[in-house]
This record gives sequence, C-alpha cells and structure tokens, in this order.
Amino acid sequence: MKILVAVKQVAALDEDFTIRADGRDVDEEFLLRDLNEWDDYSLEEAVKIKEAASQPVEVVVITVAPEHADEALRKCLAKGADRAIRVWDEAVEGSDPIAIARVIAAAARRESPAMLFAGVQSSDQAFASTGVAAAAFLEWPHAAVVTSLKLSPGAQSAVFRRELEGGLLEEVEIHCPAVLTIQLGINTPRYASLRSIKQAAAKPIEVKSLSDLGLNTADVGEAGSASRVRRMVIPDKGRAQLIEGDVAAQARRLAEIIREFQGSAP
Amino acid sequence: MSRPDAVTRILFEAFPTAEVRLFYVIAYTAIAIFFYGVYVQVRKYGRGAPLRLEGGLGRRLADMAAKVFSHRTVERRDPAAGGAHRLIFYGFLLLFLGTATITLQYDILEPLFGIRFWQGPFYLVFSLVLDLAGIALLGGLIYMMYRRGWLKLPKLDYARPDRAPGDADFDRPQYRREDWAFLWTLLVIGFTGYLLEAARLVWLHDRPDVWDTRWWSPVGAALAALLEAAGLGAHGGGVLRLGLWWFHGLLALVFIALIPFTKVKHIFTAAASLMVRDPRAAQRLPRVPENAQTPGIARITDLNWKQLLNLDACTKCGRCHEACPARAVGAPLSPRDVILSLREFASATLESASLPAAADLDVHGKSPGQISMETLWSCRTCMACVEICPVAVEHVPIIVQMRRKLVEDGAMDPLLAKTLQTIHKSGNSFGESKRKRGSWSKPLPFRIKDARKEPVQVLWFVGDYASFDPRNQKVTQTFAALLHQAGVDFGILYDGESNAGNDVRRVGEEGLYEVLAGANIAALEGASFDTIVTTDPHSYNTIRNEYPDFGGTYEIQHYTSFMRRLFAEGKLKVTQPVKLRATFHDPCHLGRFNKGYEAPRELLKLLGCELVEMGRCRDNSFCCGAGGGRIWIPDPVGAEKPAQNRIREAAAIPGLDVYVVSCPKDLTMFEDALKTTGNEGKFVVKELIELIREAVPAPRAEAAPA
Repeated sequence: MKILVAVKQVAALDEDFTIRADGRDVDEEFLLRDLNEWDDYSLEEAVKIKEAASQPVEVVVITVAPEHADEALRKCLAKGADRAIRVWDEAVEGSDPIAIARVIAAAARRESPAMLFAGVQSSDQAFASTGVAAAAFLEWPHAAVVTSLKLSPGAQSAVFRRELEGGLLEEVEIHCPAVLTIQLGINTPRYASLRSIKQAAAKPIEVKSLSDLGLNTADVGEAGSASRVRRMVIPDKGRAQLIEGDVAAQARRLAEIIREFQGSAP
Repeated sequence: MSRPDAVTRILFEAFPTAEVRLFYVIAYTAIAIFFYGVYVQVRKYGRGAPLRLEGGLGRRLADMAAKVFSHRTVERRDPAAGGAHRLIFYGFLLLFLGTATITLQYDILEPLFGIRFWQGPFYLVFSLVLDLAGIALLGGLIYMMYRRGWLKLPKLDYARPDRAPGDADFDRPQYRREDWAFLWTLLVIGFTGYLLEAARLVWLHDRPDVWDTRWWSPVGAALAALLEAAGLGAHGGGVLRLGLWWFHGLLALVFIALIPFTKVKHIFTAAASLMVRDPRAAQRLPRVPENAQTPGIARITDLNWKQLLNLDACTKCGRCHEACPARAVGAPLSPRDVILSLREFASATLESASLPAAADLDVHGKSPGQISMETLWSCRTCMACVEICPVAVEHVPIIVQMRRKLVEDGAMDPLLAKTLQTIHKSGNSFGESKRKRGSWSKPLPFRIKDARKEPVQVLWFVGDYASFDPRNQKVTQTFAALLHQAGVDFGILYDGESNAGNDVRRVGEEGLYEVLAGANIAALEGASFDTIVTTDPHSYNTIRNEYPDFGGTYEIQHYTSFMRRLFAEGKLKVTQPVKLRATFHDPCHLGRFNKGYEAPRELLKLLGCELVEMGRCRDNSFCCGAGGGRIWIPDPVGAEKPAQNRIREAAAIPGLDVYVVSCPKDLTMFEDALKTTGNEGKFVVKELIELIREAVPAPRAEAAPA
C-alpha cells in the first residue's frame, strides 16, 4: 500500500520585513522557511500507519516548490517518509491552490496511492483548499478536518472522525482511494533529530518537471489559476497610546478622549 | 631471650601432615575461585564499548595512589565515615601485608632459597604493628556498624525515588544484608585473630620464646591473661587454638574467594576507577563517533569498559544521592540508583558465559535494572554527583549518552522538542529573529563594535539569555556600559552569534550541538580578537572545554575574572561601596565545572559587601534547576523546584540583603523562586554586574540606560 502526503514549505516573516518591488509578496530575504505545521501531523499519521502495518506500506511525500523546499522534504525523510518528490517549473510561480492541486493530482495519478493526505491548511496562505481541490481533479472522495483515523493497509475503506462546529465530531467511512485533510492534534508528531536529518540528506529527492507529469505551462501559474494576488499590504497599526502624567492629568486626558469619541454631545 | 630464630610466629606446629595438606588444598581452591571471579569481571568490562584513555599510566597511577592513601575523596563532606574507613583501610592493608609476608617467608623464600628474615626483633615489631592494625580495623568496623545501625543516615537508605513501594527493586534489601554480612565477617575475622593469638599464648605459656615476648602482641597478651584468669590451661589453650585456627583461616579464605562476587570487590574496582578518572568528564562530553549505528547508549554494551568499571566501583555511600538537586525536590532520579540499576543490569547480562540476545540488552525502560526516561530527563547535569563521588564514578556522561538515544527516538517532553526545533531554525531558544540578537545594544549611548567587521581586543560572546531575556538585557546593557567606561576595546558578533550549544549538548541533541558549535566557530574564525569574555557560564563552559574538540581553541574568561582584573589594573574603581549583607550562589558551570570560585567572592569583598556563605556553597553549590536543558522542560506543578529549595536556604541567613548570582539563567530562576516562595521584600536577587554598577557609578554624561 502507498500513502501520498502533500506537504508545503511555508514562510514566516522575519523582523522588519519589506514588501517586494512588484508589491505582490514579501521580499524573499525576510522569509523564514519551515515545514507547514499541519503537514507534520499528516506525515506523522502516514508514518504511524506504516509502522503499525504488518504488510509493507510506502510513504511518499510530494511538494510543488523550488529547490529551497528540499530542506522540508529532508525533514520528512528523516521522520520516516520513504521517498520524496519535488515538482517544479519556473511557470509554477504565481500559482493559486487550484493550480498547485492540479499538479499534485497529476502526480497522484502516476503514483496511484491508496490515500492522499494533506494538511487542513498552510500556516502562511491559509486557503485550506489544495487538498480538496486535488480530490476534485482526481474525482476521489474526500473529507476535510480529520481528527482521528483508522486505516488498515489493504482495506477497501477507512473510518475516520472529522471535526464539526460546536465541538461535534462526525464518524465517517470512506472508500479508498480518497483524499483526507488532516487537522492538528490528530497525533503527536515525532522529533526529527539533526542526526536523522543529516542522514536523510543522503536519500535522493525525485525532481519532476511538468512534462514528467503530462502537464504543460498553461496548467499552472496565473494561466492555470482561478485567482491571482494583486498586491500585499501592511495594515495601519492600531491607535493605542500610553497616557502619561499624574493621576489627575491622566483622568483629564481620558475624559478628553471620551468626549472626542462622543462627538459634541453635552 | 634465647636464639633469635626461635622468636617467630607459631604456624603449623602440632598439625598432622594431612591437616596441613588439607589447608593448602582449601587455600589454593579459594585463590582459584578468586581468580576465576576476577576473570568473569574483566570479561564483563571487555564486553563494553572500546575507549582509548588519554594521559600516561604513570600519572594516573600516582594520582590514584595519592587519593587512595590520603583518603581525601572518602572523607569529603563526611569526615567521620572517612576517618573510620581510613582505619579499616590501613588496618586491612597492614594485616594483608602481614599475611603476605608470612607467605613470602614460609612458602617462597625459605623453601626455595633458605632465606629466613621473619624472626627475632623484626618479628616482634611486625607482631606489634599487626596487633595495632587489628585495633584500627575493629574500631573502624564498629563505627561503621554504629553508623548503619543507629545513625540511620538518609543517604544510606536504599529506597529509590524512581520506584514505588512494592516494586521488585524498590529498596533492595539484599544490599542491606550484604552490608551487614561484610561488616560482621570482617569483625569476626579480626576478633578471632586476637582470640587465636591469646589461645596460642596460653597453650605455649611454658615456652619462654613465646611467653616472654608476648607483650609485643598487646591485645593477644591481655586476652591471654583474661583466659588464664578464667581458668584456661595449656591443654585447653591448645585445643582452643586448633579450633580457632581452622575457623579463622577458613573464614578468611571464604572472604578472599568471595571478593570478586561481592561488594568487597570495591577494593579493586574503586582504585581502578580512580585510576581511569576523567578530570573533565562532565565539562567536556564525548563526541558521537562518525560511524556510530545509533547515537548514545541504547544497550548495556554501549557503555564503554570504563563506564562498566565505574558501575562496579560504586560503594553506595550515597553522597551523590544526597547532593542531587533533582532528588532533593522529589524528582524520580537518584544518581546512585542510576548507577546501581545499570550495575545490576550489567551483572545479570554480561557475567554469563555467552552474551544474551541484543533485545535483552536494552537499558531503557521500567523493568528492574532499566532506566526510565522520566529518570533521565530529571537530570540537570549540574555535576554535583560527579564532583562528590569518592571513587570517580562519572554519572553525567552516562545520563547524557542515554538521553542521546531518547532524543533520537523523540522520547522527550513536547516543549523540549519544540525548543530544539526553534533553536535549529533561529539559532536561539527564544524563537526570536537572528537579526534581533544585537538589538539590546540599541538604547546604549555608544556603539558596540561589530567584531565581524573590525578587530577588537575582547570579543564578548553574549549568549542567548543575556541577548534576549528582557530582564537579563538590562544586565547585559550594564555590563556593556562598564566595559565602555573601563576603556576596554570590545565587540560582539551580532547576528553572527548562535546559541553556544552547552545545554543543547547536555540535553543529548548532539547533531544540533554540532551545528551550533560549527556555526559559532566559523563566526569566531572570521573575527580578529585576543580573548573572549562572556557573562554566561554555560557558554563559557562549552567554548572553553568543548569547542577545542571541534577545531575552535580560544582563550575565554568569565566576566568575574575579567572584571577582577579591570579593578586590579585600576580601570574600574569602587567609589560608592555597597555595604550589604550578601550571599553568593556559585553557578554550576562557573564553580564546579570550571573552578571559578574565587573571582566573584573577591569582587564582592572589593565592592564592600559582607559575604555570608550558604551551607551548600562552592563545590557543593545547589543547582538552580535550569541546567541540562531543564529550563526548557516544565517542572511538575505543585512540587518544590530546586530554585525554591535554594532560596529557602538563603532565606535562613539572618539579615540577608542580597542574593548574588553571576549567570543569566540564575537571575531568571531565582527571581522567580524569590516570588513563589514568598520571600519577596525580604531580600533581593541581583546580578553581580548590577552590584558593580552601584559601586562604580557611571560618569554623568553616560548614565546607564534604564
């Protein structure tokens, strides 16, 4: 059995960042990259299934990203993934989750796994749509926000619980192959020691182009996307201020502010 | 007095030849059993991992002999036990040499070469010395019995903090039985020796060679007088002598045969352990070999032969048990029990003829002999145990090497795992941006040189806590102002600096440590400086003792010795003495690890403080609880924390004004403990740097930043 896990190397903002010249993203220099937190959990779920299985289970991670994402893939290999695939082409730049999902779906068709896992969302973009969009391209059943999972390798279906509003859980049976987006807390992701990450550096990462997956440049980038980022803005800071002076002065100033907000009412 | 050669010990006189032969058969059998036991033990050590010792054999031998003969390590913090042990040691040693002399004369020199020396005046002095040795032995033994039986010292209680009552290995009564059997056996051997001497005197009352010289064996002679007064005659004396001869002899032979199989073996293993001692055992942890299958200790055979020998050297004296800060606050760790558990495990698995299956050699777990992860994670790597062990058991490297296996398996507190990931990602444990590492210097009225860009005399390695913790940043700024005021040419590495890695290494995350040490060494290599100064004892330790193993050898000073020199050279002057009643907390990594006891004390006196020591000071300083990565692991809710235990100790000092620390983590830990123990307002916790600032006010134009 094979489990394909779609992962993403997300970016966090460093101090005093600036927006890129074209205004559509943050300057690369200020991005701190790491594996998406949700993907830690979906990978862990796949590796746990592999470790508990009596028959061989292959865990394959896939990402659609340039070379710097290899670091995130190595972390996955260190944590127990058997293979890592990275798909990239300059044309992918500017893709929205729909276009990324198209690429992942194309790779999934070739890998034909019993399950495709993805995180519920990415911590930087938070679209929460790549996984379900991939399911749509694949025409596989899917479920989002999975909080527990029972999957026996070789079985035709899996049983899982997903989170609903108001603290409710829903238990669902789903036919394989299927796409599940995994929620935080479904397990406790393991720690990848630096030693294991170093050892994983020796494992190959399979780099694939669009043509390897039977796609062309029109399937990705802005051409293949349903949406595009127009610009990125930093909102105005809030207007908190510290009132200084002795108690009487502070009270006077506070009263003034309240009057300003009330307008000219008596 | 008659012919001198007649004045000698009566050995086999009046023994039928058959009995003499029987004795030799038994004696050689006992010696054979002894050597077989030695072989089994040596084979056990040989099953450990290989290790090459540094340093010459001669120096090691001299060092060991000095410790053994002076008993310096045995009497530390327990002079009574040390004194009693010294009596037993010298008594036993002399009696052993006495017996060896008899063998040399009777079984070797005389039959082979016809040489006789054990007679006349030499014999008489010999006899006196041995009688006195016997008194020393018995006196020491009786005190030890009193100590075990009546004093009921907590450190001699074998109940374990990492097991519950009812567990198979909770308080190990077999140890108590062995302790008492050991004391009684030696006592009986010693006492029957005297009695035998007395019976021989009574038996040979009529022989002047024996009777007239009897006061050279004063105890035997006095006992003989008692026996005669009680009505014992020559014939009765002869019968008694024969019976006691066999009883005393057989008991002594059984004792010898059992040495390698019982606690008695410490007479060899303790000496050997002292000989292979590593004076920097905890200061400089061992590297993981390039080709290691798994990092650290997973199986008993992953301990090296020296560590297996360490296990056997332990005499259960309980000094590490007493000194351990984790044990003191009820954590499931006693260094003694880690060692004893592993010893039991090693004996059960490695003394058999063939090695058990690999699966049976796993030392991690909760079965008897195994060590649980809760125990291993309780350790603060403060080195209190290694410091006080009289027989050079090196607990901390074993614990850290076992943690390396836990880290590899991810068996750790989730918060610790998160911190390690944070350190990997950002180079600091605060999860702050690398760029912000030097931000604390922005409010200063002067610019600190960037040592990556211009040469400096003094490179200041700031460290994580001093760089990022808001409270410590104030101290850091004050230190910068003092250096500036003293006219020191100094600089920092700004974002070129990473966490020094001392605590990461002690957690057991060796891979991450290698990354951090590598990054810092690369940054240091890119800078031009004469010496490194740091306010952080943790950074100080690893840069001083561990970076050389990674290719970075630097001169580094803790700020206390650096400041002391600035005062000595007149670059800083005390103008407003700080007349406070102060106590000083020795940071583990400055004190025990690097013997920096004097500089902070001299500074305090220079500032005008009255220094009042806490009971646990200098080499017995009590860890704040933050070491070994414990600062990143939450302490159990409700239980006392080591820092609270320490603050309560300080609070008992009458009229204390200030509790002085010289370590950023200490400042954090103890200010917190001051509040949580309800001592806020009674005294304050201050960095020594802050006291220096008070005594050496800033020049008007450059007031220290708030």
